[in-house]
Amino acid sequence: GFSPRSNLDPLTETYGIPFYLQYLAHWPEYFIVAEAPGGELMGYIMGKAEGSVAREEWHGHVTALSVAPEFRRLGLAAKLMELLEEISEKKGGFFVDLFVRVSNQVAVNMYKQLGYSVYRTVLEYYSASNGEPDEDAYDMRKALSRDSEKKSIIPLPHPVRPEDIE
Amino acid sequence: MPFVLESAAFLFPTSEARQCSCWHKTVSLLVLSFSHPHRARQGARQSCKLQRKPSSVRLRPNYLDNGNNKMAIQQADKLLKKHKDLHCAKVLKAIGLQRTGKQEEAYTLAQEVAALEPTDDNSLQALTILYREMHRPELVTKLYEAAVKKVPNSEEYHSHLFMAYARVGEYKKMQQAGMALYKIVPKNPYYFWSVMSLIMQSISAQDENLSKTMFLPLAERMVEKMVKEDKIEAEAEVELYYMILERLEKYREALDVVRGKLGEKLTSELQSRENKCMAMYKKLCRWPECNALSRRLLLKNSDDWQFYITYFDSVFQLIDESWTPPLEEEHSLEGEVHYSIEQAVKFIEDRITEESKSSRPLRGPYLAKLELIRRLRHRGCNDEHKLGDPEELMFQYFRKFGDKPCCFTDLKVFVDLLPASQYTKFISQLLEVIPLSATAESEIALPDDIKALQQHLCVVQLSRLLGIYHAMDKKQKLTVVQELMLRYRHGLEFGKSCLKTELQFSDYYCLLAVHLLLDLWLEEGEETAVWQCLTLLEEGLSHSPSNAQFKLLLIRIYCRLGAFEPVAELYSSLDAKHIQHDTIGYLLTRYAESLGHYAAASQSCNFALRFFHSNQKDTSEYIIQAYKYGAFEKIPEFIAFRNRLNSSLHFAQVRTERMLLDLLLEANISTSLEESIKSMSLSPEEDDIPWKDLRDNRDLTVLFNWDPKDRDISEEHRKLSLEEETLWLRIRSLTLRLVSGLPTLSHTIQPKNSEKTAENGVSSKIDTIRSLLQQLEATVDSGKKFLEQKIQYPVLGPPPTRMAGFFSNGSCQCQTSLFYLVSDIYELDTNGLEVQERIGNSFKSLLERLTDLFNKCKGDLIEVRDGTLKTHPNLLENLVFFVETISITLWVSSYCDSVLRPFKSNLQKKKKKKKESSLAMPPVFTHFLDYVTDLQTLTSNVIDYIKGLEIILTALKLEDLSLKDTLLLQVRTSTYWWFGGLVEGELLSL
Repeated sequence: GFSPRSNLDPLTETYGIPFYLQYLAHWPEYFIVAEAPGGELMGYIMGKAEGSVAREEWHGHVTALSVAPEFRRLGLAAKLMELLEEISEKKGGFFVDLFVRVSNQVAVNMYKQLGYSVYRTVLEYYSASNGEPDEDAYDMRKALSRDSEKKSIIPLPHPVRPEDIE
Repeated sequence: MPFVLESAAFLFPTSEARQCSCWHKTVSLLVLSFSHPHRARQGARQSCKLQRKPSSVRLRPNYLDNGNNKMAIQQADKLLKKHKDLHCAKVLKAIGLQRTGKQEEAYTLAQEVAALEPTDDNSLQALTILYREMHRPELVTKLYEAAVKKVPNSEEYHSHLFMAYARVGEYKKMQQAGMALYKIVPKNPYYFWSVMSLIMQSISAQDENLSKTMFLPLAERMVEKMVKEDKIEAEAEVELYYMILERLEKYREALDVVRGKLGEKLTSELQSRENKCMAMYKKLCRWPECNALSRRLLLKNSDDWQFYITYFDSVFQLIDESWTPPLEEEHSLEGEVHYSIEQAVKFIEDRITEESKSSRPLRGPYLAKLELIRRLRHRGCNDEHKLGDPEELMFQYFRKFGDKPCCFTDLKVFVDLLPASQYTKFISQLLEVIPLSATAESEIALPDDIKALQQHLCVVQLSRLLGIYHAMDKKQKLTVVQELMLRYRHGLEFGKSCLKTELQFSDYYCLLAVHLLLDLWLEEGEETAVWQCLTLLEEGLSHSPSNAQFKLLLIRIYCRLGAFEPVAELYSSLDAKHIQHDTIGYLLTRYAESLGHYAAASQSCNFALRFFHSNQKDTSEYIIQAYKYGAFEKIPEFIAFRNRLNSSLHFAQVRTERMLLDLLLEANISTSLEESIKSMSLSPEEDDIPWKDLRDNRDLTVLFNWDPKDRDISEEHRKLSLEEETLWLRIRSLTLRLVSGLPTLSHTIQPKNSEKTAENGVSSKIDTIRSLLQQLEATVDSGKKFLEQKIQYPVLGPPPTRMAGFFSNGSCQCQTSLFYLVSDIYELDTNGLEVQERIGNSFKSLLERLTDLFNKCKGDLIEVRDGTLKTHPNLLENLVFFVETISITLWVSSYCDSVLRPFKSNLQKKKKKKKESSLAMPPVFTHFLDYVTDLQTLTSNVIDYIKGLEIILTALKLEDLSLKDTLLLQVRTSTYWWFGGLVEGELLSL
């Protein structure tokens, strides 16, 4: 169901309908919403599974993670990440990855605390509007149990361009 | 042109047939333009690089992809010179033509190719793109129907045909296409597409009986066949089986599937089997299982609220049934069952004990305890004391979670457990434990850190919720406002390092102070309070530029004051987009037009319309994707979602208002009224509003409030507001249809003296007008009855419609009598003097009414009395209604003119023939001439008035400047000028 609760949080992107539908049609299990006892939306996570199994690149990916301002500082983001990792484990993924703005130190630190490390830097990954320069992203990863030797998270020595990432 | 790329990428890189060989659990070949979500916004550049080009496509529409349509047409022409029959080139040319606005040429060219029933990939895919851009998806089905006839064994074309049917919702044909595919290539997905199409037939069937006795049982049998043959392969197939059984209300069978061997495939979703079992247990009222399963799930995660609810529901059901466990076997399929209050109390207490060992504080167990008390109380149980006093428990909760912003929201759910007599005591008890320290400058003790501030803020919010501020007198309220603002400003020091995108910790203090001031303004008539609201909110916004609540409240207040100028910018800074056009667009559209900001009104309608129009096409694409990936349960959801948007109240409103606006702004003389109506393909007979199914998608709680329940926005308010909006929409839609009927009448006049025309359908036009007029009168009556209830919505809730103003200022009467005039004039030559008399009187009373209406536009927009300012936005609203009414008057007058002119010349011809000077001209001509003269006088008075108004307003603006913007009200005047021009222009054209 869709209940009209408007997201006006400046840090939470409102995507177009197709974006959500695409994920719901393809990876419905990766769309998790947390509700408060009063019915308020506390937060949501959205992700997908992708990559080649043969090349040991099959993994879970975090597309969007957002917690309403009212429900921050409760460890909800950690819980949602945990759930996404659990789904990815069950799918036999080698790792979970996510992209984050290099400047978003709060998020980078949070992900580090959750066991993620910077695998590589993707240059000018985020396109900026109003004339500002494009921003780099960190591709952060956390190995899952299938990658027992943690090969998937060995950092790359050089940054990459957006077009070079799969 | 991201959209163009999207559709191209969708079609060219992979064939739909290749997609379906695997369900969504494996790697996908599909490349969408936003292959990486974080880059969704710059999808275009990215997708160029990511598109994989299959070698078979030689003639890729590169130029089209780049949006260079002219080049594409040239290239196609060149190719066509060499190869006259290169179908694909023709279609590419057609796409180019379509995109350069030559729709008809494009269509003709496309049909040339389509008539040949092409079977080459390129032509088919290019035509598919073209038809989709033409919004003619049904033509795609024809295309592939022909193709599969010629190439009956093509998996690819059959698959395209299935998808083409899916786009237009031809469920029965989908079912057949799915089976045809399965016969060619026996892959499971094709078979289950066919099964799903049966479910869709059952959902869309009008006859529920048919759906339960035919479609669903057939679907069930189809799946059973696969089960028996041991051919079930994928999770999606089991999900589908479950869906069918659930819809057939075969809950027991569904449960067996989930718990059985097939259920083992349900692995993707977390707790998929548990959730499905739980749903079935509930349907079957198997409370022991409900209880045991929820208990087990809570042991695993004691923070999952939904399972507390099921746990409590089931415990009390079992108590009511005096359930006792069987002596020898297990309690239930799901293990141990709790069936007494003692067990429930102990279970919750244990969860709390467990929680204290958890590394992360969990709210669930504590809130569950309060929930249990509520339920015990509700049952009149005196066992609640076993759990402790709710006041004390809430106090403990505050001590534990008071520094978290969610503490207020959590406690809000349970404040009804507190007796009203304890409110003040409760609040002071909370205040006592907050570490505040007194400062030298102020008597008010202030928090030393963010945590203390957060706790204090929670108490302030609770005080508002408990009605403590509402009970205060004016002076006390003002003292609280001062205190809150002092706390707000003090709290800013904790947020010095906040980024622009972050909110200040103390923002709510400011917002709460403003809410108190709003009470003073609206309930105690304190005019200065509203100006203070504006300054405080603007102050808040300057420190916390991303705070949407500040902006929303500013928008609401400015609109109520009649000052729209600052609203557009505030609204655009909210960055509302996509679905928000539907949910909060009303904040803007309600006021933009009524306050005379026509450009802003048009623009906001356009944004919303663009969103709604793309919804239809977008959703279809993802319905198809859901088939491909086997996300069957999403398909009915997507369709319901699409329907919900299509039947949105706001959609119907912006559609109607947009057309009315276009007519008002563009059709300044009668001939262009006709053109405008034609170009909008408006017709008085057509009504495209789904009146019965209108959905109110407005987010009416987008503005926060902390009001007690009895002052908060209630279900009743929502219901009434929808009723009011629907009535008003009906009036507007009928007005639009009546206006659109005017030009259809004018052409019927000349041949009207011959009796024949009355029979061959011409007269039906006037009948349409008359019937619409009747409907309008009936709706106006209902509207008046509705308003008699004198409903006051909360100030932060739904805004009232413009209906009250429309009735009270007299524009409603003017407009209806104008349409009656049309009806009378139409009969001029068939009915004698009687109707002429009536027309004469109509002219006279119309002028009186218009003059009355004009007088209601006069006055000071801003009144200064005893040093306080008061705005009169109703003057602006009246003026806007007046301008609209004058426009309709001019259109109607022009129609009168078109009837009277030939009538007069006919009479003059007769007069000449008879050479009788004694034959007097009918009085209607004199009436009309008098009327036009008076109308001209009135309009020039209006223009003079508006010019005068502009001077006053400019003076006021200058005054503002010298006051250094303590007064934030600005009123745009240019629109009056513009309208002055419009009125003048129309008069000249008469």
